[in-house]
Amino acid sequence: MLQCIFLLSDSGEVMLEKQLTGHRVDRSICDWFWNQAISQGDSFKQQSVIASPTHYLFQIVREGITFLACTQVEMPPLMAIEFLCRVADVLSDYLEGLNEDLIKDNFVIVYELLDEMIDNGFPLTTEPNILREMISPPNIVSKMLSVVTGNSSNVSDTLPGATSSCVPWRTSDIKYANNEVYVDLVEEMDAIINRDGVLVKCEIYGEVQVNSHITGVPDLTLSFTNPSILDDVRFHPCVRFRPWESHQILSFVPPDGQFKLMSYRVKKLKSIPIYVKPQLTSDAGTCRINLMVGIKNDPGKMIDSITLQFQLPPPILSADLTSNHGVVNILSNKICSWSIDRIPKDRTPSLSGTLAVETGLERLHVFPIFQVGFRIQGVALSGLQIDKLDLKVVPNRLYKGFRALTRAGLYEVRS
Amino acid sequence: MAPPAQSQRSPSPSQPSGKSEVTDLKTQLRQLAGSRAPGVDDSKRELFKKVISYMTIGIDVSSLFGEMVMCSATSDIVLKKMCYLYVGNYAKGNPELALLTINFLQRDCKDEDPMIRGLALRSLSSLRVENLVEYLVGPLGSGLKDNNSYVRMVAVMGVLKLYHISAATCVDADFPATLKHLMLHDPDTQVVANCLSALQEIWSSEASTSEEASREKETLISKPVIFYLLNRIKEFSEWAQCLLLELVAKYVPADSNEIFDIMNLLEDRLQHANGAVVLATIKVFLQLTLSMADVHQEVYERIKAPLLTLVSSGSPEQSYAVLSHLHLLVLRAPYIFSSDYKHFYCQYNEPSYVKKLKLEMLTAVANETNTYEIVTELCEYAANVDIPIARESIRAVGKIALQQYDVNAIVDRLLQFLEMEKDYVTAEALVLVKDLLRKYPQWSHDCIAVVGNISSKNVQEPKAKAALIWMLGEYSQDMNDAPYILEGLTENWDDEHSAEVRLHLLTAVMKCFFKRPPETQKALGAALAAGLADFHQDVHDRALFYYRLLQYNVSIAERVVNPPKQPVSVFADTHSSEIKDRIFDEFNSLSVVYQKPSYMFTDKEHRGPFEFSDELGNLSIGAEATNDVVRANRVEANDQDLLLSTSEKEESRGASNNGSAYSAPLYDASSVSAAASQAQSDSLISNLEVAGPQASFAIDDLLGLGLPAAPAPPPLKLNSRAVLDPATFQQKWRQLPISVSQEHSLNPQGVAALTAPQALLRHMQSHSIQCIASGGQSPNFKFFFFAQKAEESSIYLVECKINTSSAKAQITIKVDDQNTSQEFSTLFLSALSKFGFP
Repeated sequence: MLQCIFLLSDSGEVMLEKQLTGHRVDRSICDWFWNQAISQGDSFKQQSVIASPTHYLFQIVREGITFLACTQVEMPPLMAIEFLCRVADVLSDYLEGLNEDLIKDNFVIVYELLDEMIDNGFPLTTEPNILREMISPPNIVSKMLSVVTGNSSNVSDTLPGATSSCVPWRTSDIKYANNEVYVDLVEEMDAIINRDGVLVKCEIYGEVQVNSHITGVPDLTLSFTNPSILDDVRFHPCVRFRPWESHQILSFVPPDGQFKLMSYRVKKLKSIPIYVKPQLTSDAGTCRINLMVGIKNDPGKMIDSITLQFQLPPPILSADLTSNHGVVNILSNKICSWSIDRIPKDRTPSLSGTLAVETGLERLHVFPIFQVGFRIQGVALSGLQIDKLDLKVVPNRLYKGFRALTRAGLYEVRS
Repeated sequence: MAPPAQSQRSPSPSQPSGKSEVTDLKTQLRQLAGSRAPGVDDSKRELFKKVISYMTIGIDVSSLFGEMVMCSATSDIVLKKMCYLYVGNYAKGNPELALLTINFLQRDCKDEDPMIRGLALRSLSSLRVENLVEYLVGPLGSGLKDNNSYVRMVAVMGVLKLYHISAATCVDADFPATLKHLMLHDPDTQVVANCLSALQEIWSSEASTSEEASREKETLISKPVIFYLLNRIKEFSEWAQCLLLELVAKYVPADSNEIFDIMNLLEDRLQHANGAVVLATIKVFLQLTLSMADVHQEVYERIKAPLLTLVSSGSPEQSYAVLSHLHLLVLRAPYIFSSDYKHFYCQYNEPSYVKKLKLEMLTAVANETNTYEIVTELCEYAANVDIPIARESIRAVGKIALQQYDVNAIVDRLLQFLEMEKDYVTAEALVLVKDLLRKYPQWSHDCIAVVGNISSKNVQEPKAKAALIWMLGEYSQDMNDAPYILEGLTENWDDEHSAEVRLHLLTAVMKCFFKRPPETQKALGAALAAGLADFHQDVHDRALFYYRLLQYNVSIAERVVNPPKQPVSVFADTHSSEIKDRIFDEFNSLSVVYQKPSYMFTDKEHRGPFEFSDELGNLSIGAEATNDVVRANRVEANDQDLLLSTSEKEESRGASNNGSAYSAPLYDASSVSAAASQAQSDSLISNLEVAGPQASFAIDDLLGLGLPAAPAPPPLKLNSRAVLDPATFQQKWRQLPISVSQEHSLNPQGVAALTAPQALLRHMQSHSIQCIASGGQSPNFKFFFFAQKAEESSIYLVECKINTSSAKAQITIKVDDQNTSQEFSTLFLSALSKFGFP
């Protein structure tokens, strides 16, 4: 079980320390950690499980803040990592953001939260809704309220009802004048396209995000027109298993507010929205580059925020690049980024120029990989469609809203 | 004193230095302590905040303890919380001052607000001061009976904390029994979960001393408890579900109906949003079905999709942990994942340790249908900017080539690598081509044509150079200028820094000499002279050996150096399967991420000997890039003679099983084996001090010497009628640490007699060693044996894996009584070595 949690700022300063068991973990572990992080650079920062000479460390990094947990005994690694992720989520939810100042200003709240989230090294409650009832967030409303009422405590005097209810993610006495529920399909497309323009791999990871503000304890059902395309699904604990098993219907009592109802994966997709045609020719110490970007399969909605990014290979000394559309930037670490945004109607965006190759090298052996970014609003590229959303008891004045969004995940084109 | 100020790294200017501010705070707190003026809580709150923030940045504010306690009389819950936090942090260092807090904490424990009762109880039990435990028992007792579940939940954890401060007080107050009652009857699932986690800890540590506790520990994993909890699993919080699933994984069901019941109950857990729950469920499924091969297979199919989703969803931190588990499963059952190979394609942005895992998985899942695509993909990575990954991917192509039957396309690709004109690509490709030729000599014509074009000047890496030299020697009849290239290399003898390359050069010149004597004579003379004058012991010895061999009889020398070779069918596995099995048993733990079983990293005292015995098992462990600092130098040492040991190992192995692969006469074989083992024993000698008694035994074994082990062990008698039921065996096997783990060569008679597993069973039975399970088909057999010490209850468990084609047995022994483990292992091995003799 976890023995201690540290929060480190992006300069390595210990902002917060929470000892969880009788076995105290000395702060010097943070010094060790930070020295390693400095000497080993990024590759260390990306490791989630680290063996130090005295402890096993778990780390996650969010907005420059390192959440570090220590243990000396064997435990499921994912439990520690998941937990840290939840802590980060809850904190950023409570503090409306996550940065050094916010944490330092509100460290009492952070302590209070950690106190309820983990006891004796074992995670207890990480449901934001329950925590919210035990410790109210330091937002403007509660500050105003405290000025007006003179009651400056940010702790509610009653214990959350949900801790004993059978729907632990929701309290029973929620009231709204206007009932609203919004369902968003958010998809990320991962794709690899090889140098001949052939699609090597294409897959979508998607989430169904729900934002509900409904009076009482509503019982919702959500169905899709084509659930069979889903490869694998994962649900929020509120989703009942049987209706999905038998009819692919999502039946659930939602938590109040924003939450992730379901995540899914769709594999072996055949069409991609954007193509990139790279041409590189290199001889006699220079390399000519020519890139064209265009729409391959029109999704029927506007594609925007198109960007292209690539790392110039190490033997390239300098680059002289121009484009007929958008802005080209070469960053200090030899990363070249081209922001196109929308593809104009009258011409195909293209980028061309020359790259100067290190002296002594005739030809280039290593070619860059182009990472593409884009966003399409109004379409879920997997083809998943929501059929309908029903409530068992329909409250008066109910508004239902549906949206979809697809963006590029790891979308890369090789050359 | 808890966090001392001086341990802090140099304080930044914005941080107060401490002293004067603390004194300041002290006076301010004093002033507020008795005050009842309106608004006093607000000023207190500001002050408390300051104190806590000092504490947080590491300034020692323990001197304020008295004042803080005086100010704690308040109804404001935030003030209380800050005060609890402060007290919890400093009480352990100030036991006498902590006494001051008892009073107000005890009073708060009786507050009418359940939240305050809970918080106070939590703080009271977090004081961790031994002489205050008497004040804890009362509030805990009433906390456990509280009508509010929040207070009960806190009280249960409090019991565990009390147990850690003073186990006797906790047991005397009969708290464990109360917890057990709560666990089975409390309506609140969080209370139940906390009871479960507390009881597990208490009873496991009590079990060693108390019979009753160990019985209680057993009942935790008994059918009624498990099913009672499982039926309520959906009400549990996600973390409590993880805990429960961990427990279920330890449960041994009575029959297959139970197994299916459990799996039906848990199936929907595989779709839980929390990755930890999913992984814990997968562990349960895998453990339950271990004994049912076909269901186990279906389980793999079932868990595939959730695992792949987990990898692609979630944060990068989570994906890595999941990927490590996936890696383990893929290596265990590659055929199940062979259609999902695209999931293991590397994305550009991924960190290199993720790419490395993926490359290994791609290698594992390659089969007839997907090889072409996988190899095409791997070739893409050879041009990767990340050079270590580029190298890994070339090696991966090579490994696939060695595990496939149809290698046409792959050989072409490898040869293309050689023409890529990049040093490291050429280097890796050369090593691979060498291995390939040893397995598929029929390709020599195509390969040699390309290899012949490579100038040895462009090859700098020792491994690659050694590979090139090996090919020059082996195929000197097909390469026109081989003798001249070798001669050129011999001339630069002194510039060659790697002993490995010089060793290979010696052998290659010898081989070349027998094939094309007139052209090579000069080079041979030069090489032998240089070799004899060499400072490196191995090089010197080998040169001397060749020299005397030539002196003795040239035709015999030819038979030693240039025997007709049979293609290598299977290369020695780099990761012992015993370790893989251990890691698999520890699914959903850190072991999987580190890729080594927990006994290798958690149990520090056992580290030395175990590491050694492990090393014996795989002399040719590859250059696995481990992050572990402790093991780093060991790996490096191994890395150095990797090439040597793989190329020579075959020879020494051939020698020990009496020329099945080589037609060289016996007396030559033994000398070759001695020379070859030299390098291996060299690395072993450095470990001798660490190893103790095991080492002498192992080296004798390795060198084929029959010297008796140094101290004559007192005879160990075994009970000839020992009995053990499979469940107990399984349980014990999981619990006990490994006492002995080593590889043992079998005598040829034994190998010949082992046509079916039953033969060995009867033989071992005559030595009072019983078999509990066996299986496998030629050439791989696996046995589980057990034995019992005569007139004692101490049990010995053995896992024995025999590979008849290499005549090796991999033996793992676990024992109750560690003192006799060596004797038993000797006894077992002697029994095993008698197998096959009438």
